[in-house]
Amino acid sequence: MSETATPSKTEKKRAINRLKSMYPLRNVVQQDYIDTLKASNEGKPTVWSMLNYWEGDLPLKAMGLNIVYPENYATLLAASGAAEPFLDASDSDGFPTHMCGYGRSTIGYSYRMMKENGGKIPPDAPLGGMAKPALLLGSGIICDARFKWFQSLARYFDAPEWCLEMPMMATYEGSEPDLEAYQVKFLVKELKDFIAFLEKLFKQKMDWAKLEELTDLAVKIHETTYKISELRQSIPGPMHATDFWSSMPPSLFFAGDMKVSLKCYQDMLAEVQERVNNKVSGINYPERYRLIFAELPPWHSLKFFDSLAEMGWNFVFESFGYHAPKPPDLSKYSDPCEKLARLSRNFMFNVFPEAKADNIQNPIVETYLKIARGFKADGFFMHPLISCRAASCSLRTVQHWEQEKLDVPSLWVEGDIIDKRVFNPQEVLARAEAFEQTMDHYRKVRKSRGLDW
Amino acid sequence: MVTATTKGLSRAHEIYADRGKRVRELRKAGKKIIGYICLYPPIEIITAMGMVPFRIFGDMSEPITVADKVSTTVVCPFLRSIIDLGIKGKFDFLDGAVGAHTCDIGMTTIIAWRDYIKDAPFTHLIDVPHTDHAPAVDYFEGQINFFKQHIEELAGEKLSGDKLKKACELHNKQRKLVRDLYDLRKSDPPRLNSMENLEVMVSLFSLPVEEGNELLEAVIREVKERSIKPAKKKARLLVWGPVFDNTSLYELVESTGADVVVDDTCVGTRAFWADVKAPYDLHALAQRYLVDIKCPRTYRDTQHQETERSYDKDLDSRFSYIKKAVTDWHVNGVVLQSVKYCDTHGYEVPNLRHYLDTLGIPSIYIEHDYSERSLAPIKTRVEAFVETLG
Repeated sequence: MSETATPSKTEKKRAINRLKSMYPLRNVVQQDYIDTLKASNEGKPTVWSMLNYWEGDLPLKAMGLNIVYPENYATLLAASGAAEPFLDASDSDGFPTHMCGYGRSTIGYSYRMMKENGGKIPPDAPLGGMAKPALLLGSGIICDARFKWFQSLARYFDAPEWCLEMPMMATYEGSEPDLEAYQVKFLVKELKDFIAFLEKLFKQKMDWAKLEELTDLAVKIHETTYKISELRQSIPGPMHATDFWSSMPPSLFFAGDMKVSLKCYQDMLAEVQERVNNKVSGINYPERYRLIFAELPPWHSLKFFDSLAEMGWNFVFESFGYHAPKPPDLSKYSDPCEKLARLSRNFMFNVFPEAKADNIQNPIVETYLKIARGFKADGFFMHPLISCRAASCSLRTVQHWEQEKLDVPSLWVEGDIIDKRVFNPQEVLARAEAFEQTMDHYRKVRKSRGLDW
Repeated sequence: MVTATTKGLSRAHEIYADRGKRVRELRKAGKKIIGYICLYPPIEIITAMGMVPFRIFGDMSEPITVADKVSTTVVCPFLRSIIDLGIKGKFDFLDGAVGAHTCDIGMTTIIAWRDYIKDAPFTHLIDVPHTDHAPAVDYFEGQINFFKQHIEELAGEKLSGDKLKKACELHNKQRKLVRDLYDLRKSDPPRLNSMENLEVMVSLFSLPVEEGNELLEAVIREVKERSIKPAKKKARLLVWGPVFDNTSLYELVESTGADVVVDDTCVGTRAFWADVKAPYDLHALAQRYLVDIKCPRTYRDTQHQETERSYDKDLDSRFSYIKKAVTDWHVNGVVLQSVKYCDTHGYEVPNLRHYLDTLGIPSIYIEHDYSERSLAPIKTRVEAFVETLG
């Protein structure tokens, strides 16, 4: 995410064969920050939002509100090497150091803005920074930090806060078919309350037709990105993980103009299809090993993947939590809130029926078993994070079951999303060389078991 | 019903030292023992079905040796300890385990239980919403209903309203007795020290509610009859934080010349301060567990729907119950303690400390990894803190 320029022809061969269609998508999010700041300077409100798997994004966009995502902004801080002063500021204000790196960055940013700069954006903030929030939109989806860290921002801002709800139960109890209506009913009630609150706060009415239009666009975007994901199962892998991470914001939280984004993703689909047809790889070296990255990347060290690409390691899939699943059929529902509730809920519950069939309790394990089979993975790059419970807590069980059920081994590399001080690329590269022997060994084991890769 | 030869505090000490002993006896006699993690499974339903709720704790003195294949090291060490003990067969007396989405790791603990701990064939996971919004309370009532249906299947019978009401009344009685016991620590010096108190609390989580109530009544009688020792200490402290089920922290703090007179932890007041209200139905349970328990895992939205928010009002709405405890127990210092990697409590720390500052109450924050060994380095800091209060 730190790169901003299209490569010139005179440059040395790049290790990763970047998709041309990635660059416009990456620019969408960067432009979005610039546009939002400009709007703020013109007196328009800015909403700070957590990733909310679309149930909050679309109502805000339908009302024409400008949104920034501190969680995403933290990745920019890390990728541009600017995170440290913000982490230090959070520490100095008394927040424990083991907490979410995104959260600590945002807290540090807010501290420096409000306590050190008299409400002005810190001068070293990349892309001009984020304007003061008129609303803090927390979310209970995925992890506790998503609502606790926004709650703690009240010490810097008087902005009102809302916490979005989502049933968190991709397990037996939550996935029985007769529970779906009950969960949707809960979400619809919450969404109606939320929209009423937005109308009161911003003194404008919801544009329901616009909300429906954007929901339909969201479905189209996700249908397209899902097709791209499916194509990535090809050998050689046509799209490297770094291209996914650079291009995901317009589908993960609908940064920018969604019509433009849809066109960009359609271009990406066409480019990936062309690569598949012509057996073009996502790396500029022979694909020796097909790796899956789990779960959140070291944003501060994405260049590190170049070294692995030079070794023939193609990261063919990554970060399931950033991928929208195949969208549900919403055509039979007329209430825009119900459509939205079902779109969002689908992220949490789409996988469990398969997990149940596979006799696995943890849906994340099942997701990664499916990915390993579909992508014919040689190995997993497990990246447990010192500062993220949600993305780390299941990795040991994923590792265990991948090995147990599929004989796919894992390289275990502790690190962090933001704090580069806990990541040692040289040491990891040394371990990676040794891990190749492990992957070679388990290729033979899988073949002897009758598996086809 | 009680077969014990000891009574009161001696009995509590005995149970604390071997938590599984009594429930093993009960299981042998045909009772079903249902383990539960954290405060959010509604234990009244377990009691009403004629089963014994048994709160699952970790063990600070037992090194975590086998949980690493299930759990990364960067998550709650208390919950890692539970998984570790479970895999080692230390919960073989349980007929079932109930978890709740109290936090991210709390949820994955019960999921991991299903895959790795085979001793308790019945498991249930209750989803707990993040807010106390009205639709969230309704949703949570539905979750409690699913739990009720599931445990009815295990019991082979339906739960009647009368049985649920009786169970609520028994647990409410226990809560009232605990509050009475805590009142005995308001004196200076307190009639009961914090180690004794914790042993009683841990015992309550290890016994059927009726036996727990008998124990409490005996303890209260015994403590009331004690003569108060004249030696006053320099500090009267409140200890705040997530689960702490071992007397070692209290021993450490009291060894520095302080009395811990009250707490806000989930093995203390947090578990017993709120009653289930009439008409003792599932909605009342939802209200008690989701809204009335004051744990940072719930976003208590007291400024819900308000377009202007005040930080001071927010702090007061979240923490005024601590202010009341500070006043009622004559507290002059607060120890905020947490296990490492507890996000829900970690985010709370600077805001709570700020609130205490506004009350003029000094505080200290200490973090440990739920092992007895990790407490030793903390002692010097606590000593220095207590010194400043003198």
